[in-house]
Amino acid sequence: MLAKIAFRNIFRNRRRSLITLLVLVMGATGMILFGGYKEMNFWGLRETTIRNRLGHLQIYRQGYLTADSQKPLEYGLDDIGQIRTEVEKDPRVAMTAAQITFMGLISNGEKSETFLGTAVEPTKDRQMRSQRLETGRELNDGEMDTIMLGRGLARSMNVKLGDYLTLMTTTVTGSLNGMDFRVVGTFMTGVKEYDDRAIKVPLSGAYYLLNTKKIEKLLVMLKQTEDTEAVMADVKLMAASRNWPLEMRTWSDLATFYHQVVLIFNGIFGFIGTIVFVIVVLSVANTIMMNIFERTREIGTLMAIGTKRKRIWTLFLLEGAMLGLIGGILGLIAGAIIGQLINYANIQLPPPPGYTAGYALRILLRPGILMSSFALSLVTATLSSIYPAFKASRLNIVDALGHI
Amino acid sequence: MTDSVIRLQGVRKSYRLGKVEVPALGGIDLEIESGEFGALAGPSGSGKTTLLNLIGCLDKPTAGRLFLDGLDITDSSLDKLADIRGSKIGFIFQTFNLIPVLSAFENVEYPLLLGGVGRKERHERVNEWLDNVGLAPQANQRPDQLSGGQRQRVAIARAMVSRPVLVLADEPTANLDSETAAQILDLLHRINRETSVTFLFATHDPAIISRAHRRIRLRDGHIAADERNHQLTGGVVHAS
Repeated sequence: MLAKIAFRNIFRNRRRSLITLLVLVMGATGMILFGGYKEMNFWGLRETTIRNRLGHLQIYRQGYLTADSQKPLEYGLDDIGQIRTEVEKDPRVAMTAAQITFMGLISNGEKSETFLGTAVEPTKDRQMRSQRLETGRELNDGEMDTIMLGRGLARSMNVKLGDYLTLMTTTVTGSLNGMDFRVVGTFMTGVKEYDDRAIKVPLSGAYYLLNTKKIEKLLVMLKQTEDTEAVMADVKLMAASRNWPLEMRTWSDLATFYHQVVLIFNGIFGFIGTIVFVIVVLSVANTIMMNIFERTREIGTLMAIGTKRKRIWTLFLLEGAMLGLIGGILGLIAGAIIGQLINYANIQLPPPPGYTAGYALRILLRPGILMSSFALSLVTATLSSIYPAFKASRLNIVDALGHI
Repeated sequence: MTDSVIRLQGVRKSYRLGKVEVPALGGIDLEIESGEFGALAGPSGSGKTTLLNLIGCLDKPTAGRLFLDGLDITDSSLDKLADIRGSKIGFIFQTFNLIPVLSAFENVEYPLLLGGVGRKERHERVNEWLDNVGLAPQANQRPDQLSGGQRQRVAIARAMVSRPVLVLADEPTANLDSETAAQILDLLHRINRETSVTFLFATHDPAIISRAHRRIRLRDGHIAADERNHQLTGGVVHAS
C-alpha cells in the first residue's frame, strides 16, 4: 500500500514531478552521452596506440629495459624464428611483427633533418593499419631501399615520389653509415610532432644500414585487447620453460599518453558527474520537501490512524526512489536514442590538440555506462529523499493535523 | 455498570509558548465507559481538542495518568502508541482527512493493512463497512469524486473497520450542511447502538450535544459539568 501511495503521489502534482523527472532524465542522458563519448575516445585512443606503435605486447631480450646500452641493438633479439612460431601458436594471437627503431639524419643533398625511423616487416606493418597513406604506396616485402615519410617531414624535405634521400645513422658497431632510399609514399598518423619526424623503411634495408641481423623487439598483436595480461603470462611461462632470456611489456605499461588522457577525462567526467549529482539531489530534495509541506495534514492523518514513523520515512523515501527509477528509465531510453542519433549523424569534430586530422563524434553505448547512469538517477534521487523523509517522520501529529 | 474504556487521573497538559508555560488542561479526572456516546462541549480554547488528543494517544500529558481499555498508556513509546491507535482507536476528523490518492475502498482498507489482516478478511471487512455506511457503489472512487457527506462516511468506515474500542470524533459535522450532518449523526448513533463501540465527540454542534448520552462540559481546561442524559440513558445527573 505504501508503494501504491508513493507511486500515485508522483502523479498528484504533475507539473512539479515533470520538472523533477526532466532534471533526472537530463542528468542521466548527459551522463550516458558524455560517458559514451569518453569511452569511445578511450577505446579509439587505446586501439590507435596499440596499432600505431606499441602492439599489445612487446618482447625484448633480457636486459633491454634495464641495461644502459652503449651501442644500438646491443640488447637486440638474435633469432626470432622460434619465439615467433611459439607465440603465434596461441589462438588469441593475431600475428607478430619485428621492429627496429632508430634515429639519425635524413638528407636530400641540400637539407638535412633528424628523423625517427621504424624498420618494419612491410606486410605485417600493413596489417597493423598503423598509419594512413597520404600519397604513393606502402612498402613491400622484398624491397630494401624504399622509404615512406611522415607528412610533415616529406613537406619539410620537399620530396616527390621517386626521389632519393640519404639516411645516416650509427651502426651496431658504433661507426657511421649512410644509405640511399627511394621515396615510395607519405603517411600520416594524426600526431603532428610524430609526422614531422617519422620515416619507415623495410627491415631488410635497416639490417644493411645498421649492419646487423638483430631486431629490437617483437610486437605481438592480439585478436582482443582484453587478453593482453593473460597472453603475457603464458608467453613468460613459455619463455621460462625454454630458458629464453626474454622480457616483455604490455601496451598499458608503455602507453603513458593514453593513461594521461584517461586520467584527465575521468577527472572531467567525475567533475561533471558531481555537478549533475548536486543538481539532482537539490531538485529531488526540493520536490519531496514541497510534497511534505503540502501534505503535512495527510502525514498527521496517516500517523493518527496508526502508521509508525518508520513507515512515513519509507513512504517518502519510496517517492524519491520511484522518481529516480522513472527518471532513470526515461534517461536510459533518451540517452540511448540520442546517442544513436549522434552516431548516425556522423558529426565531424575538429582535430584535438597535437593532432592533424579531425574525427567523427561517436558515442559508445556500453552497458556499464547505461547502468551507471541509471543507477546515478536512482541512487541520487533516493539519497536526496532521506533527509526530507526523516523530517516528515518526525512531525508532531497534533501540529501536523492542525496544519493548513 | 460496564468497564471503563478511558480513565484519566489528574491529567494536566500545558504548552510552551516561548518562555511562558500555557496550561491547556488542569487536573482532569474522567472515566468513560464502554458503549457510551459522549460529547465534550465547551467554548473554543476550553481544552476539548487537547483532551481528545490525549485520549487518542496523539499527545502525551504533562502530568497525571491515562488508561485506555485497562492499560496504562501514559509512558508508552511513540511506536507503542501508534500500535494502540491502529488497533483500539478510530478517528473521525472535521475535514474528513482521507488519503487523496487512495480510493474509498483503499482508504478503508489501509488500517487493516497496518494491522496485518489477511487479504480475504480485509476485503470482507472493508466491503461490510462500506456497505454499512451506504457507500458500496462508490468503493472505487477517490475522495475528490465524493461529496462531503460521502467522504465523512468513508472516514467513519475507516474508523470502524479495525474494530476499535473507542471512536474519537473532532467536530465531525462542522464541515457539512445541516441535512447531511443529521444523516451522519444518525449513522454514528446507529453504529454505536449496533456495535457498542464507545464514541466521544469534541463538538460545538447542539444536535450532537443534544443526542449525546453524556455531556462533558469543559471551561478553561477543567470539567465544568459532566451530565448524563437520562432521557437517553435514564435521567440527567450533574457530576460536578
